[in-house]
Amino acid sequence: MDTEVLMKLNKVSKTYIMGEVTVEALKETSLDIYSGELLVILGPSGSGKSTLLNIIGGMDKPSSGDIIYRDRSLTKASDRDLTLFRRNEIGFVFQFYNLISDLTAGENVELAAGLVENPLTSQDVLAQVGLADRVDHFPSQLSGGEQQRISIARAMVKNPTLLLCDEPTGALDYQTGITILELLKKAQQSMGSTIIIVTHNTAIGAIADRLVRMRSGSIAEVIVNEAPVPPERIEW
Amino acid sequence: MKVLNRRLWHTIRGSLGQFLGMAIIITVGISLYIGITTAFFNLSQSQEVFYQDNNFADYYFYVVRAPESIMKQVESVPGVALASARIQKDVPVLKEEDERASVRITSYALPIENQVNSIQLLDGRLFSENPVGGGIEVMVNQGYLDANFLSLGDKIDIVAENKKYSVKVAGTATGPEFTYIMKDASNMMPDNETFGIMMVPLKQAQQLFNLSGQFNQVLVQFTPGADVDATVKSIEDLLSPYGNLSSFPRKDQLSHAALEGELAGLDAMSSFLPLVFLSIAAAIQFVILRRMIKTQRTQIGIMKALGFDNWQIVYHFSSYAILVCAFGALAGILAGVSMASYFSDMYAMFFNLPQAIGGVNYQVIINSLLLSLGVGALAGFSASRPVLSISPAESMRPSPPGRSSRSLLEYWTWLWSKLSSSWKMAFRTISRNRFRLVISIFGMVSAVALLILSMFTNDAVDYLMDQHFNKESSYDYMLTFNQPVKESELLSISRLEGVNIIEGLFYLPIRVHHQGQTSEDVLVGINPSNTLKKPTRENGSLIPIPSEGMIISRRTANRLGLQVGDTVHLETLMGLGPARYADVKITAVNHQLFGNESFISLPQANQILQESQLITGALMKVNSRQAKIIESQLSDMTGITSIVSRQKERDNIMSMMDSMIYMVSTMIMFSVILGFVIIYNSVIMSFNERKRELASLLTIGFTRREVAGIMWRETIPQAVPAILLGLPAGKMLADLYFKSIDFDMWYMPVVIYPSSYALAALGGVVFVVLGQWAASRGIKKLNIIELSKNID
Repeated sequence: MDTEVLMKLNKVSKTYIMGEVTVEALKETSLDIYSGELLVILGPSGSGKSTLLNIIGGMDKPSSGDIIYRDRSLTKASDRDLTLFRRNEIGFVFQFYNLISDLTAGENVELAAGLVENPLTSQDVLAQVGLADRVDHFPSQLSGGEQQRISIARAMVKNPTLLLCDEPTGALDYQTGITILELLKKAQQSMGSTIIIVTHNTAIGAIADRLVRMRSGSIAEVIVNEAPVPPERIEW
Repeated sequence: MKVLNRRLWHTIRGSLGQFLGMAIIITVGISLYIGITTAFFNLSQSQEVFYQDNNFADYYFYVVRAPESIMKQVESVPGVALASARIQKDVPVLKEEDERASVRITSYALPIENQVNSIQLLDGRLFSENPVGGGIEVMVNQGYLDANFLSLGDKIDIVAENKKYSVKVAGTATGPEFTYIMKDASNMMPDNETFGIMMVPLKQAQQLFNLSGQFNQVLVQFTPGADVDATVKSIEDLLSPYGNLSSFPRKDQLSHAALEGELAGLDAMSSFLPLVFLSIAAAIQFVILRRMIKTQRTQIGIMKALGFDNWQIVYHFSSYAILVCAFGALAGILAGVSMASYFSDMYAMFFNLPQAIGGVNYQVIINSLLLSLGVGALAGFSASRPVLSISPAESMRPSPPGRSSRSLLEYWTWLWSKLSSSWKMAFRTISRNRFRLVISIFGMVSAVALLILSMFTNDAVDYLMDQHFNKESSYDYMLTFNQPVKESELLSISRLEGVNIIEGLFYLPIRVHHQGQTSEDVLVGINPSNTLKKPTRENGSLIPIPSEGMIISRRTANRLGLQVGDTVHLETLMGLGPARYADVKITAVNHQLFGNESFISLPQANQILQESQLITGALMKVNSRQAKIIESQLSDMTGITSIVSRQKERDNIMSMMDSMIYMVSTMIMFSVILGFVIIYNSVIMSFNERKRELASLLTIGFTRREVAGIMWRETIPQAVPAILLGLPAGKMLADLYFKSIDFDMWYMPVVIYPSSYALAALGGVVFVVLGQWAASRGIKKLNIIELSKNID
């Protein structure tokens, strides 16, 4: 594993004001993300793991603290800068896929490819996720697992430095979930992407290079996994 | 049900923009319905009452002069209910400021109430047959009094049979034949300053015109169910020894025709305009409710699981549409009532009707309320039908991703392959919602067509002015002499300084006979070399005057079914000397916009009259700087009955057009509102449906501006064809409108200038941009963090 720090979070906090209640979703959290690693963030609902992921992915701004991405501070980045950051550096995979229903599988991937200067070819990426033959199908014609694979292809085609996955197996059955994790692992290995998976499923922690456990808006522990388990060998 | 009502309230608050948008369209539809229908109802009601109260004539017979004794025989003709004899003649008025005017002296036997076409006093008192201190007392129409700054008791100098009389104004009055006072059909509109009606006792009129014991017009009312043709024939036979000049039915009476034309226009608009707005509102409500039910599937399932029955839920959703309509109708009633009063005021200004034609029409208001609630209920209940098929258990499962289907454009593979993903997305979204597409396009087409309809009146009048003032005729003054004179007498006028051109003409009233049918017409005898007045073809091009043969008016050609090449039999109706007859070949049809004149060469007109070189009037072109001086010099000349200034006519029309601006701008505003609401609703529905997808685009690196661009891509393929289609649709609408009010007094071509098309298209662009902007403000607030949360 490469030890270059890709992103550095320093005492990052996030508070939301919801009506008259202030919710501290993230409390002075510091974390280094290494280039090329597979990081799993584990935690129960409300532990702040999605907030952490959103801040890493430039979808949300911290209330305080610093974020350095490759020597560049994102702490005070404008909306426009964050959009460009997401466009060029980040790939997102969601629990509910969020594909564009009016675009075919192939077109969903091409839509993302069109955003960056040197994308991978859509056909190659679709072949990698094993759906080259479903290129002309609409999301409504695909199973959940297939939709999630298209969603991964859509994230991968931009050749992002960071692939962020929010509960990527949350809506899928066990077998399909495993397939998705295998795909992510493969992407890490073949493309050298840095992958962060947020999940409440503790079993998934076993495939990580590092495991971050979160509780009540803070990092409870960071475990370096010396011997990550291949996805096909985990169970839940 | 209380909870459901509260839920309805939340739903309305959550979609306030859409709710208000639809309510505004209903408001516009209802206000137009109330405004126009009330105006129509009031106008036709007061017309009916006025006609009835004052015994409005069914038929008019003009003679040279006939003895009063003949009236006994006229009255006893079967089919005659009431008959009156009177004298009516135009005479010049001498004004202080060297200006010319003329009044139409109209006589009344006493008691006035028993006369056909009796009158109603508006101000002052009735004339007296034997006024204290002698002289002649008259009543004039209110418009003439006001326009000439006269007061009751003032004197007016008139010239009758070459004698000057000072008559005293005792009061103002109006009658059913004076609702829209124009000298003749060649005038575009009333000019109260230079033409008025002067009502005098029959005895005095007989003295003025040396017609003691005689009259020159008979007015008749028929008994119900009378054989009109036979009755008319009998009266014509009775009057023929006295120079039966002309006879015509009520429908050819000028002010009646003008009023009928306006009523026909109102009638057409009173159903058409509200229909457009209400049907579009109903369609939009239907689409919105259908979508609402689709997205609230789970909630409907929960309601059913809790024990609400189908009817309660259907009623709950339908209430949304019914509330939109109730809300819109209330605002519409308020706006409509004030619009009705505006319309009524305007008509009161246009038409001299004595009855108050304002007033609220409760029947119309109740109708409008029922109409709008009906629209709401129809849209609501038909849209809520899918509620019935939702099963509680099934509705709890997450709904599958939106179904997509291929767009028709995909069959054009070459083009499709060139399109970017965002364009493809837009085309598929559009074709997925076909019904919504149809509604949006229909709505936008209507809005643009209404813009054209609002603006084309301006073009029509502009074209008319140009055609009337610059092409068909280009004179500055038209003179009418009190009797035919030799053409050579024009020399004295042509010598006046500043007179550039003077051309004589002969106005010859005629009756055209063809295959047993007749029609009355005015034949203008004019030199083929003349430059100041020309007949025109249908396309507006000018027709040269032939040396032999006549150019027949469009109206007479239509009435008698005449074609170029036919020969007609003419009978002169001069009133002076014996009637003359001639057979003349038709060489062309005159589509002149005003006045329905037929044309013939001046020598041929004289030949028909067995005269030579006679004229009854002249046209002049003068140096504009000397116009005023010439006008005053002409006013001093005796023998000139009237001097019509084109400039004054033009000014009159322009001031009339000014009063139209309110109407036109209101209609433009309504059209833009309609277009705006359609776009707003369509975009906001699409936006709400696809919030999640659009947010996911933000996460993969689309900027908000690019996402807005995607929304635009959905609107453009609908808006561009709709705007383009709206332009010819507007033309069709204008054609239809004119067809619905067509009457043969005037010929109005539907003229729409390219600039109006451009403006309507621009109006279309404006409402599209505004609607799109208002609806896509939500993109700024689109929350990408929500994406990681649950779908429903």
